[in-house]
Parts: sequence; C-alpha cells; structure tokens
Amino acid sequence: MSPAGRTEHVTCLGCGCGCDDITVAVAEGRIVDASPSCPIGRAWFGDGTLPSEVLRGGRPASVDEAISEAATVLVGAAGRCLVYLAPDLTTQAQRMAVAIADLLRGTVDSATSGTAATGLLAAQRRGRAGATLGEIRNRADALMFWAVDPAQRYPRYLQRYALEPVGTHVPKGRAGRFVIAVSVGAEQALKGADLTLELEPGEEITALSLMRASVQGRSVSSKVSPRLTQAVEIAARLARAKYAVLVHDAESTVEGRDSLRVEALIALTQALNEPTRAALSSLRAGGNRPGAESVLTWQTGYPFAVDYSRGFPRYTPAERGLDRLAGGAFKAVLVVGSPDLEQSAQETLSAVSSLAIGPRASQAAFKTRVAIDTGVAGIHEGGTAYRMDEVPLPLRPPLSGARSTTDTLRALTDAIRRELGRIGA
Amino acid sequence: MSRTQLRIAGGTVHDPANEVDGEVRDICVEDGRIVSHLPDGAPSLDARGMIVMPGGVDIHSHLASSSCNHARRLLPEEHSADPAPAPEVREGSGSRSGTGGTVPTTFTTGYRYAGLGYTTAFEAAVAPLMARQSHAELEDTPCLDSGFYVLMGNDEYLLRQIASGEQNRARDYAAWLIGSTGGYAIKIVNPGGIEAWKSGQRNLSGLDDALAGSGVTPRAILETIADAGNDLRLPHPVHIHCNNLGMPGNSAVTLATMQALAGRRAHFTHLQFHSYGGPGWSSGARPVIEYVNSHEEVSVDVGQVMFGPATTITADGPVEYLLHQSSGRKWVNIDIELETGCGIVPLVYKDKAAVSALQWAVGLELFLLSGDPWRVVLSTDHPNGGSFLSYPALIQLLMDRSVRDERLKQVNPKLLAGSPLADGLTREYTLNEIAVVTRAGPARLLGLQQKGHLGPGADADITIYSRDDDIAKMFATPRYVIKGGALVVEEGQLRRAPAGRRIRLQPGYDEAFLPDLRRHFEAYSTVSFENYAVQGISDDPIPLSS
Repeated sequence: MSPAGRTEHVTCLGCGCGCDDITVAVAEGRIVDASPSCPIGRAWFGDGTLPSEVLRGGRPASVDEAISEAATVLVGAAGRCLVYLAPDLTTQAQRMAVAIADLLRGTVDSATSGTAATGLLAAQRRGRAGATLGEIRNRADALMFWAVDPAQRYPRYLQRYALEPVGTHVPKGRAGRFVIAVSVGAEQALKGADLTLELEPGEEITALSLMRASVQGRSVSSKVSPRLTQAVEIAARLARAKYAVLVHDAESTVEGRDSLRVEALIALTQALNEPTRAALSSLRAGGNRPGAESVLTWQTGYPFAVDYSRGFPRYTPAERGLDRLAGGAFKAVLVVGSPDLEQSAQETLSAVSSLAIGPRASQAAFKTRVAIDTGVAGIHEGGTAYRMDEVPLPLRPPLSGARSTTDTLRALTDAIRRELGRIGA
Repeated sequence: MSRTQLRIAGGTVHDPANEVDGEVRDICVEDGRIVSHLPDGAPSLDARGMIVMPGGVDIHSHLASSSCNHARRLLPEEHSADPAPAPEVREGSGSRSGTGGTVPTTFTTGYRYAGLGYTTAFEAAVAPLMARQSHAELEDTPCLDSGFYVLMGNDEYLLRQIASGEQNRARDYAAWLIGSTGGYAIKIVNPGGIEAWKSGQRNLSGLDDALAGSGVTPRAILETIADAGNDLRLPHPVHIHCNNLGMPGNSAVTLATMQALAGRRAHFTHLQFHSYGGPGWSSGARPVIEYVNSHEEVSVDVGQVMFGPATTITADGPVEYLLHQSSGRKWVNIDIELETGCGIVPLVYKDKAAVSALQWAVGLELFLLSGDPWRVVLSTDHPNGGSFLSYPALIQLLMDRSVRDERLKQVNPKLLAGSPLADGLTREYTLNEIAVVTRAGPARLLGLQQKGHLGPGADADITIYSRDDDIAKMFATPRYVIKGGALVVEEGQLRRAPAGRRIRLQPGYDEAFLPDLRRHFEAYSTVSFENYAVQGISDDPIPLSS
C-alpha cells in the first residue's frame, strides 16, 4: 500500500479484460511499476497521481459546501436531471448513483448507450450464447475473429484467454486451436490466423446469413461469390469444432459499421449450438462499464437508458441520455466517474448545471457548477468491478488517500434527503 | 432490530413447530425476538379474529444471481408492463422503485415477498465465480433474511477429485467453496450433465452414464457430494436437481437417484419437474412420492407449475437448449468456466397445452399424496414454474377441493388419463399444514433454528392474516408482517423495508489440499486464487453445531 510497497493480484480496468494478476509497486506515493502489463494497462495505471480539488462555481470550496450546492441544484432539477455513469466507478458507487437518480426521478445513462447498446438490444431480442473468458481458455478449439484484432484494444486477451493458454480441453494451447480471421473492409482481423477471409462491408450480413443457413443444414447455392462460398466453408469448419468461439468488438468505435452485425453474429453462434457447442465473446472496454449495466439491470430491469421521471424505471433505449440533454430535456446533470465525455456532450453540459464527481472532475472539459475529485476504481478505491464477460472481480487499490467516490455519493445522498425534507418534497 | 416490545394479542396462532394448531394466544416480541412474557402495559397489537403464523420461508427461489440478472436483462417487455413505484415507507433509509414481471428487480422482489408474508428466502443456484454478484443483489433485496446454495457437481476440480477417488479432498473442497463464496448449502444441478453439455457430449441421462474422458458418473458425483454435505454436518443436506429435468419418463432416474442415496440425508428440489412417467408423457408422481413418504431421510420441495408466464432459469444448460428448440422462444446460454452453466428461456404455461396441464397436475399430486408435510414443502421454483406471487393461488388449490376440481375441468385433459388427480384426490390441506409447508417445514429442512416458529428465542418474523373465505386473497394480502420485530406491513401496506441478514456458513476443513487447489487455479482459472473468495460480507457466518 502507499506510500511505498507492492500490492499483488491487482485487477486492471484499463480495458475489459480485467487481468487480476498485476503486481503494482509504489514509491513515494506514486506507482512506479505495474507488471505484467500492456500499453493500455500502463496508461491506465499511470503514476496514480490525481488532483484532489473541490470546486464550486470554478473556485475552491469545502466538500460540505460543494455537496450542499450539488444537492440544491439536483433537488431543484428533480424530474429533469440526468445521472451519467462514466467509467472508473466501483459497482458500489454505481449502486449509489442509481439510487440518487431514483430519489430525484431523474434519468440514468452510462457510457454503454454510446458504444455497446446495439449488442445489448440485439441480445434482448434474441438472447445469446456466451461464455466466461475461462471457458474460451479451457475449451475453444476453433476461434473466429470477426473484424477484430484484440491485440489493439484488448492487449492481453489473446495471451490470457483466447489463443495461447493451455486449457483443460486444449492441452496443446495455440497448436490445439484453429484460428480464423475475417476482416470486413478496413476493420482488419488479427494476424497469424490459420485461415483468413476478407469481406467487403456490403457483403458482411449476407455472409453471416449464409453461414447460419448452412449451419442449420440448408444447402447454399454454388452461384454465390467465391468469398461467400469461403464464408460458408468457414461455418462448416466451426461446426466441426468441439467448442467454437466467435470474437467481435462490442464497442462500436467505427463509423459505418453495420448495426446488424452483432445480431447476425448472435444468431450464427446460437445456431452453431445444434451441431456443436459455441459461444460469442463480446469484447468490451474497461472502467467497469459492464458493472453499470449489471447494477442498472438488477435495480431497474434495464441495462442502460433508464428514465425514473414517472416514479418508476422506464426504458428509453432509442434516446441516449446525452442526446436528450442536447434536446434540452434536463436542467442539471450529475456526471459520476471519469468525465471524459464526447465533444458534443461537453458543449451541452456547459450550458446546464453540471456536477462532476469522479477522478479528475476538476479538470473536466465542460463547465461545472460543482466538481469533486475522487479516486479511480481499482487504483485508489476498493470494491467490485466487472470484466467484459460480467465476472465480478475484487479491486485491490495499490494507492490510498484519494477522496472516496462512494463516501462522496453517500454524503450527497444524505444532503439530497435533507434538502427534499426541507422543501417538503 | 428495534429495542421495542410488542404483544400480538388474541390471534389464532398456527405454530406447528411448537405444536400449536389454531389456539388463541398472545405472541410476545422483544428486541426482534420472540419471548415468553412481556410486562402488562407493553404495546399491543389487537389480532383478535386474525390468523398468526411465523413469517414464510422460501426454500428454493431464483431471486439474486448473475443468472437472474441475465434473465432480467432479457425481459424488458415484462418490466415495462409491470412498473413498481417505490412504496411509501415511514422510516429508515427510504425505499426504491423497480419493475416486476417474472423476474422482478431486487428491491421490488424484497417488497413483494414481504407483501406476501415471506421474511426468509434462499437463492437456489449460485455459480461460485459469480457469488459476489449474489451478495450485492441480496444487499439490495430488503425485508428478507437470505442466503444461497453453491453450485457443485459439474466443477472441474471436484470432478477430478471424484475421478481419482479423493473423497476427503472433495469434502474439504466443498467446505472451502461454501466458506469462500459465503454460501449456505450445496446445490447439485444435473450431476455431470452440464459438463457433458459443455464438452460436446450434450448431456448424461442415466446415473451410470460416464463423462467422456474422466469416466465420472452422476452416481459417483451424487454419492461423493451427499457424503461431503453430511460429513460436514451442514444444516441443510445436499440440494439436488436430478438428471433429465423435464423429460418424459424421468421419474425412473429420479427414483434411481433417491435409491442411490438411500440412507443419506438429501433434499430433492422441484420434484414436479422430475416426476413424469414414460415413455410418452404421463404422471409419474405416485411412485416418486410414495418413495419419499416411506424414506425419512428424504425431503423435497415441489416446484409447482402455475398457469401463466414464467421464466426458466437454470444452470442446467442442456435442458434450456431443448426448451429453446421446442418452444422457439429466445434463449440465453452462458457457460461458466470450470464450474457450471446457465440457461434461460422465457415461456408461458397454458392450461390448454397438454404438457403444461400435466405438469400442473403432477405438482398437485405430489402435494396431495404427500404423507409428511414437513418433508414435502411448497415452491414453484420461482420463476421456473411460476412467480412466487402465485403462492396464494397454489395454497388455495391445496386447501379448497372445489376450486381445484373446477380448475381441473378447464385444463387440457389429454395427458391426464389415469393420473391420480384425474382419478380424484379429495384431500384438502389444513391451515396448519399450510403453515408447515410454507414456514415450519422449510425452516426445519434448512436447519434454521430461529426461523419458521414462534417459540421463545425465535426471530420475530410473523405474518398476520385477516380471515377471508377467499383463501387466495387471504394469503395474498396479509394484514401485518413483522420482520425481526419491525412492522414491515401494516394494514396491508408496506411501511418499513429493513435490510435483511445474510445466512451463511464457514465450515472447517483440512487445509492440506489448498496447495493442490492453488496449482489448479494457476493452471486453468482466469481469476487469481487470491481474488476468488468473497470478502466483506456484513453478517458473520452461522456457527455449525459439532
């Protein structure tokens, strides 16, 4: 622990891999080493230093003053406020933030609605066939990487989970796994595969449909293009595996990606469970984003985009909270977590009463009425966070001393209750 | 709980654990516990003319787990149709809104259980890797004291111990796993069958079918784990979901399982789903319940099917795949590394559907042919056979033959020919028997000495009903519910929502096997051994009697 020492078995939330084998060394209150690590992990841990300011109207204030101001603003905006769950929160903090939204009849949204909503909605329509990462490690003897090279955004995914490890049912490790790389236009799949296929974006959904048809036993016409014929052959190869895993990037960072992709991948994976066993691995970014979905689901029934304005949770997946903010739906916004929001949101946030509680809140790129710097989940704060496969992991913070997000939210909740009591609401 | 006294005065008390069957007497509460006396002048609640029972105890429910949350996420349409505003509580830390449907949100689950007079519930299937989530969900499930059962019997480490005949190590591992997860009992689901599903063998159907590779059989799994549970003196014996759930003719494997474990304490869960005759669909209830009746070491919960919407949630992955294939409904499957599985299919039991009608009848037959209500207790396997909200309607079917016979006339009779129910079962449960199957019996089967009764020292978990000729209405709307001495429901309205306690164990074990277990983690797990055990559970484990 800080100011000097080593903390073992630290969970990294730099991406959604949730590697929990990190040893972090601290000297003079700073992180000096984190290993084994990857570029994303190193950037995420950094040296662990954070600002610890409390601002009201852009000027230094006491925590009590800032919380009191935040409570007044939020209660004044009850029914018309947005609670935004940004990354780098523990599950415990997420639970408290959702409770605040319920108390204020606000709207809750999270980073999910801007990135991973398509996949969640598809899974709500169809269900899904999935697995925790260890099943991939232990069983996958065929993997198809669909338009993704995990090495870029999920650096240790291949080493820890998907390709290299020896598994209970894959005693030869990489040699026991047949690897297929399907690239779609500019979205290149991983290198070094046993079989590759390059598709044009316009062919993608047709290819996945034909693959599913063939898995379901339908004969596919020989008149389709050579590339589509090869896709059908790939489907047959997956169906011959003992445990096939399809891998895709569930965080949509690419303009123009076909929104039907994820549903077609879910459908193909489900269909592969007739001839064999198969699972879809959806790669997710870090900062405990799946935790926000999990908490929202058990508290509201919905994984993102929840509106409490009628006194109970309603699902508004077609309208992102930040889009409704741009449309003038909210008088106040509470951003909890690391406030690195997209550019367009920052402009609208500056135009309403914005409150930020989280790591580097005082450095938010939007104008804040109140900003309270707190620690980063997993670096300064203990608790629970979810891996991309929704396995909950404990957090062992290597540093201490930063203001706690959960304590701050608890104080805010108390202040909101007092304010509601004062005005007789 | 509260430092308060309360005399529940003049009610008609049904406390079968203390052999009180409908006697008018006072029940005294002090500091959250039942006491034998209170001084004159203590605050009093007039219960004259009302029926007083211990708070309900649900021995088998799916209410707080990663699987439940996958199911919640799958059902936005149900949640939209059943909004649940926050109840107006009088004190404490407030209340929360939520949504319902067959898998309600956590807070709503707690409020609705309390609204039915239930004060204790056990989550029946938790993958050890996901135990943290169950604890978090249970923390957000007010009004209920709760715990969960830990899934075993398809886990890689245990299967390896069974394959190599390491009985003692299997027992030590089971103890370690219960303590590490904060669980209360051992749950076996489809012994070996989930591993078969995951490894391409699809399923195991007979007790002596072997897992490819290891050669381990369901029989060996059942014997080893049942012995482990009994050796560890767990308050609740191993809780078994047999092989072949939902298959025609499965009563044969159910009976074979009971016979394999003869002489060992064991609890067979949702027995209805395992009591079908064969080779086509028919009732197999009679031989199964007759075996139960004549074997004291066996207990069961029924897992009644109620007509209407349900969501099937189980670790039994292969069953859910077949249900998805036959129903065409949406389907979730999650394979959970080194441990178990998870499958979900929402569906509707229709009275005009022959198989649904058979399932409904089989459950009622198990209840009505039961020779001992203390060992044959009530469940719907919520939400698999129906929501816990259907318990009042089920109680009415058990207590009122005319209602039952009328309902029987409305169901598809195709598969009921020759079934005991169609041939006429006249039994009607008494109020005392209902108190047994919904409170006293489950508490006793769970080994919970402070639950399910109203004797001195018991937790002051009490439900008070206004008499009503409509049995279903009476049980659906208790007049008062007291949880740990706090008035949770007053005049039929939820007024307080205290946090519940976790009921968990930490059995001792020989630590000599831990280095081997650690090597297994290092070779195959994606979670560090040091990060596996759940830390920071607020309530202490219950001490095990020696």
